[in-house]
Amino acid sequence: MASLQGYVDHRVLLILQDGRAIVGVMAGYDQKSNVVLSDSKERVYSTDEGVEEIPLGLYLVKGDQMCVLPTVLISHLTSDIMSGYATSVLIGELDEDLEKSVDLSVIRAEPLPAIRY
Amino acid sequence: MLPLSLLNAAQNKPMLVELKNGETFNGHLVNCDNFMNITLREVYQTNAEGDRFWQLKECYIRGSTIKYLRVPEPLLDAVKDEQTRAREAGRSARGAHVSGGRGGRGAPARGRGGPRGAPMRGGRGRGRGM
Repeated sequence: MASLQGYVDHRVLLILQDGRAIVGVMAGYDQKSNVVLSDSKERVYSTDEGVEEIPLGLYLVKGDQMCVLPTVLISHLTSDIMSGYATSVLIGELDEDLEKSVDLSVIRAEPLPAIRY
Repeated sequence: MLPLSLLNAAQNKPMLVELKNGETFNGHLVNCDNFMNITLREVYQTNAEGDRFWQLKECYIRGSTIKYLRVPEPLLDAVKDEQTRAREAGRSARGAHVSGGRGGRGAPARGRGGPRGAPMRGGRGRGRGM
């Protein structure tokens, strides 16, 4: 299995199986892909208002399953793109410059649905 | 930094635990293990819809049912400092081979044979850090 080491101390986007998108700095991880995110924020997407960022603080997310999300896709986060990936917990590094150029308040997107078994 | 070392450091600290079914538990961590099974005390349980609440004196949560834990932010620095200190202490005292025993490699089956405190069989002092 590939390592999450390259993400440590970087700002990452984590997508949970319930459809939540959490951005935070990866402080650590272990062999089960459990992940520690510091300074994390949940991004709440909706179609009728801009993206809302809710501060969450220090999070320890269980990593039951994971796969990788390419950096580029993150800035164009729409449910269309994401739904193809939303089959497990996702994690990807954020491109800081791209990230700054995006105005979250103008982004409209449907929230991701939770996955169903 | 390992998630489990953060969790161990969170003992007696307040935390929020959300289960995979969406229920949340707010309480103080009493104990935890390597499966992330945890016990909490002075717990407020909330159902997935967030409209019903229960107060529990103490509860046990199986690690595999947990989605995530939210812990106090200052803990991160505390754990980092602790690790640096342990590393430096280990370096000056023992030389190489520092923070041993920590890793998640430990097989859960350890300690099956024989009573607790029986002399350890397989050399290499695993489990020193407990």
